[in-house]
Amino acid sequence: MPPGYHGCYLRIDVSTGSADRVPLDEDALRRYIGGTGLGARLLLGSDLDFFHRPASGKNQDLTPDPLSPAVPLIFAFSPLVGSPLTTSAKFAVVGLSPLTGRFNDSLASSGFAIAGKQAGCDAILIVGKAPALSVLVIDDGRVRLEPADDVAGESCPATEEKLRARLGAGFRIASIGPAGERVVRYATISHDGRHAGRGGSGAVLGSRNVKAVAVRGTQRVEWAHPRELVALSRDLSQRSFGPATAKYRELGTAANLLTFNRFGTLPTRNFQQGTFEEAPNLSPEQLRSAYARTRASCAACTIGCEHIYAFGGSEVRLEYENLFALGSLCGVGDHAAVLRASQRCDELGIDTISAGGTIAFAMECVERGLLDESWLRFGSGDAVLKAIDLIGRREGIGDLLAEGSRRAAETIGQGSIAFAPQVKGLEIPGYEPRGLQTMALGFAVGARGADHNRSGAYDVDFSDKVDRRNATLDSVRHAIDSEDRAALMDSLILCKFLRRVLEDFYGESAAMLAAVTGWDVTADELRETAKRIVATKHQVNLLAGWTPAEDTLPDRFFDSPLPNDPQASLSRERLQELVAEYHRQRTRGAE
Amino acid sequence: MVIEFLGIPRERAGVSELEFEAATLGEALGELSVRCPGLSELITPEGLHPSLAANLNGNAFVKSLDTRLVAGDRLLILSADAGG
Repeated sequence: MPPGYHGCYLRIDVSTGSADRVPLDEDALRRYIGGTGLGARLLLGSDLDFFHRPASGKNQDLTPDPLSPAVPLIFAFSPLVGSPLTTSAKFAVVGLSPLTGRFNDSLASSGFAIAGKQAGCDAILIVGKAPALSVLVIDDGRVRLEPADDVAGESCPATEEKLRARLGAGFRIASIGPAGERVVRYATISHDGRHAGRGGSGAVLGSRNVKAVAVRGTQRVEWAHPRELVALSRDLSQRSFGPATAKYRELGTAANLLTFNRFGTLPTRNFQQGTFEEAPNLSPEQLRSAYARTRASCAACTIGCEHIYAFGGSEVRLEYENLFALGSLCGVGDHAAVLRASQRCDELGIDTISAGGTIAFAMECVERGLLDESWLRFGSGDAVLKAIDLIGRREGIGDLLAEGSRRAAETIGQGSIAFAPQVKGLEIPGYEPRGLQTMALGFAVGARGADHNRSGAYDVDFSDKVDRRNATLDSVRHAIDSEDRAALMDSLILCKFLRRVLEDFYGESAAMLAAVTGWDVTADELRETAKRIVATKHQVNLLAGWTPAEDTLPDRFFDSPLPNDPQASLSRERLQELVAEYHRQRTRGAE
Repeated sequence: MVIEFLGIPRERAGVSELEFEAATLGEALGELSVRCPGLSELITPEGLHPSLAANLNGNAFVKSLDTRLVAGDRLLILSADAGG
């Protein structure tokens, strides 16, 4: 077994608490590396019978049923975890999304990744459903289920605190909040204040009666070339302090808000506009003047992108996506309301992007007279807060909104699907597709739906390589390149905020992987690996019932130009051309 | 003409925008490095540091120092890593 790996994963059936240590062959590890790649490989390699079972209950519209106990949920680590490489303390959660019914990989950071790997496995694969709400404890490879009565209904932070007190030092906890317990379809898995956020992994755990996974271990892996690895790590850390990451250190991702507003690409009022007149109220400059702020880092990270604001006797981590989704997207310019809404999402364990997108969709339904909830109006911070609470409890209209904007639209009908801000069921993040058309392509073809992390195509839209408001077939290769790089970073696993630090992305990645594993891996090999991982995700989707019709955007983006930017216009035909070219190039690349 | 600053350039410049006169992007950046010392380390004879980007009037992103500027232009200087 190569250095960097244990050479096995734990297959745990929480119905019985039984666990098997399943070997992983070196070829599979080299071809998929870890994280998202390994998770995708394990998902495809499991008993695929669940792809063919009929759905039941509320999930009859999805085959296979992501909430079925037969569908694996995989926590996947990587060979770089536990190394001195900056930003390497990350883990992936891979499965099928209850929102989309398609492949889902969400990532989170910090100590759980390190402890999970030290528990003695390269991945944890969970099937089955526990008889009662439980904590899955993995202690140096020994597996047991414990009751979760004392943390039932608790917030994610409270759950972690209580379980660490109960289980003892050294354990790291990944948990779901009340929203996950109630199977809100975009519930998150949280660790140390960070979330494996998108796609509803928390709902999957909740459906399995697993409140938390607690890991601890002493089993470290070897590195093939430790001196070289340390040298690479020192160099990478040093460069990570430079101008390429200054935005994250000094302003955080909140800096995006005014930039996007200036370019008319800040989604506002459910993507009805691209500029928000109250954007300055939500800027990092305004937040700094209103609240005390500290910075924090994930474990093993030198960038320190987390900006934490003192608010209401507590602390709130604030990212651009929170500001957009709970702010401009809902027409809310009150920073206190946005902070409180972010905090509440964190406590409940809810994806802020899907929450904001679904609430904004509902607000437009009310505006159009399609929904009888007169309090749910654009611009009302109180309405956003009330909606989040109702979603977390699945109460009243919250029960419908907990299903996500696509299902809500299917229930409301009356043509509302045209403005439900989702692709494949996953709500669109804070990038206006009509003004960022390479990103629009990335959203349409993304394996897990509309996603700015699995496609960083906005990067090329903000460059001289393309005309962001007039995507051509030349944009396609950029979208593919962006997807490939993201897939590799999510499998190595390294933070994407390093992307501009790595001057030779594939070459440097190969050097890091070689230093850990001893493989004679090259940049060209990693280019192929990246493509393979993307292809594997699509393979999962094919088995799950994907059709080409899913690779599109809601009608709003074709039928309604942005009011303040008539040049930002995307036709259905143009996007179809781009999507067709994307699949043609992907297929040609696979031959 | 106006230079607008977004993201890190705004932090370094200490203002959100400046009035200026220049015939080319190169001239504008040269003036900028003098008037905004906080930005000078990110402006080289070859142009902007790769961590920054320049955009004309919210339309095209520009790199060539010979890019012509005309009266009324708004030159946006922003963090190149626009997302995240």
